[in-house]
Amino acid sequence: MQSNRRCPSTAPRQQGVKTVSELLRVSNLDVRFDTARGLLHAVKDVSFNLEPGESLGIVGESGSGKTVLSRATMGLLTMSTAKKSGSVVLNDVEITKLSRSELRSKWGTEMAIVFQDPMTALNPVRRIGDQIAEGPRVRLGMSKKDAKQRAIELLKMVQIAEPEKVLKKFPLQLSGGMRQRVMIAIAIACNPKILFADEPTTALDVTVQAQILGLISSLRKQLNMSLILVTHDLGVVAGHTDKIAVMYAGEIVEMAPTKELFSNVRMPYTEALLNSIPRITNQSGIRLPVIEGRLPDPTLPQNGCGFSARCKYATEKCHTERPQLVDGGNGHMYRCFFPLGVNK
Amino acid sequence: MLRNLGFFSKISFAWLSLMLFFAIAGPLLPLPDPSEFSDALGAGIFTSGHLLGTDLNGYDLFANIVVGSRNSLFIAIISVGLGSLLGGILGIAAGYLRGKTDYVLTIFFNIFLSIPNLILSLVLIAVLATSPDPTQTVADSRRLVVIIISLTIVIIPILGRITRGSTLAWTNAEFVVAAKSMGMKDLMIIRRHIIPNVLPSIYAVAFLAIGIVIVVEGALSLLGIGVGQGISWGSMLARSQGDLEYAPTSLFVPLTFLALTVIACNQIGDALRQHLDSRESKL
Repeated sequence: MQSNRRCPSTAPRQQGVKTVSELLRVSNLDVRFDTARGLLHAVKDVSFNLEPGESLGIVGESGSGKTVLSRATMGLLTMSTAKKSGSVVLNDVEITKLSRSELRSKWGTEMAIVFQDPMTALNPVRRIGDQIAEGPRVRLGMSKKDAKQRAIELLKMVQIAEPEKVLKKFPLQLSGGMRQRVMIAIAIACNPKILFADEPTTALDVTVQAQILGLISSLRKQLNMSLILVTHDLGVVAGHTDKIAVMYAGEIVEMAPTKELFSNVRMPYTEALLNSIPRITNQSGIRLPVIEGRLPDPTLPQNGCGFSARCKYATEKCHTERPQLVDGGNGHMYRCFFPLGVNK
Repeated sequence: MLRNLGFFSKISFAWLSLMLFFAIAGPLLPLPDPSEFSDALGAGIFTSGHLLGTDLNGYDLFANIVVGSRNSLFIAIISVGLGSLLGGILGIAAGYLRGKTDYVLTIFFNIFLSIPNLILSLVLIAVLATSPDPTQTVADSRRLVVIIISLTIVIIPILGRITRGSTLAWTNAEFVVAAKSMGMKDLMIIRRHIIPNVLPSIYAVAFLAIGIVIVVEGALSLLGIGVGQGISWGSMLARSQGDLEYAPTSLFVPLTFLALTVIACNQIGDALRQHLDSRESKL
């Protein structure tokens, strides 16, 4: 069972470095929320792993549990209503069993996160410089002067012009793209080994999106960080990740190395997602295909495949029996009885 | 911030500054002795030697106002300051820690809010600052302390609830989660991220509370349990409450000062709140 879930790693990019150990292993992670409407099953039995320097894209529509998954992996779900099970091993340390202060010591220096909306993720009443220097000051014990130098250096790394001037500004004096760059600078300030990016470009203009993604990718290579990029846009992850996990209704429904996924789609849901991306080659005047219907109610127990109600290939079996994640070779895993392009 | 103040706020600010100046520099001003009788009884305003006239005992009203401003403002500022500090700490604790702490503190706030403040002050003064022997008087300073304590108790739950609400909102702000995700300790998050954001709403309510407390202190004096004789605006009113027919200025003068000061406090409080709201909407 366990070995079945294990996803063969994609080849790491750097030459000559032997990456035997994995950096992060998430197994059977399960998150439920106690809500007024009942137990909400947000993340169901999710497993994946990540090697040093590797990048993983987690794709899914709103409400598919991708944000909860990334927060639960970091241990950031602190609400009393969240019930978590499963294991998260970071550098051979089981972090779900750590105390709050031990966990805190991992945040910032081992795992850091870039949030979706840079308008709300920066404190409006504090200067940019203070907010960037906070991490190095508190977590790395730098002096005020060194931390300021570090802040300037970080702003240069995220390609902000005139960093000395920007240090003295307040968040509302910066543009959205600049703020997201500042957020990235804050996140990488303590040299984390894994960077979580939770829809880092959703709140930004399309033109700025590409710059920010490019920046995250180049920083990842420069600092040899691992990256977990959470997004609802398959187009976003295409050029920036080594492998992709597609989430639907709290489950991973398909996971594969990026190239493999795009060339051999197995899961009907992924196909539907790909079809709904607007393309320059689309004939004009034709409606963009949409996925009819909605996500199943996460508070209700599910029989069968979560996507069956919206799937155009669904059969009786799909509605009654629950598909398991199967390994289709080439590191390609999918959760479907009737995978596309596979002859039975 | 001062530049953006409206006309009324500027006037209010000037008035409060003047009152503060009276309270601080009062003894240095060339005024008649406030506790000395003069020959002019019940003189109107602008009588020579008495800028705002005298009451029926011949006390100089302006001198008493200046001396009284010290006690009125002192009581108001100390009790609101203490109440804001304690209420603020409790409110932040409730809003940030949530759970049981929040539950207990909210019940505590609600219970204290249900106690009428005049009755609370009456009881406290009766128990703590009254001598059972009618021939012995209790020192003014002791009564002052008890009044301040009773007013502080009234302020704590008001400020506590306001701070709790504001803290709840800011604790859920993404930048607080971001600070957490960088491994900041809770106290540090409270100091650097919660307090600077919560403080403006505390200021705004505290100014309104100062106005309320000045009025309550006046009411206590009218009931005969204020501080001493004629050394606060409220006790000036109490001393002259029977003289409206014969010397109306002896009531109107302290009343005008009291009313204007309360209005000024409310105006500044409102201006602060508006400033705060517009700042938030800019985000």
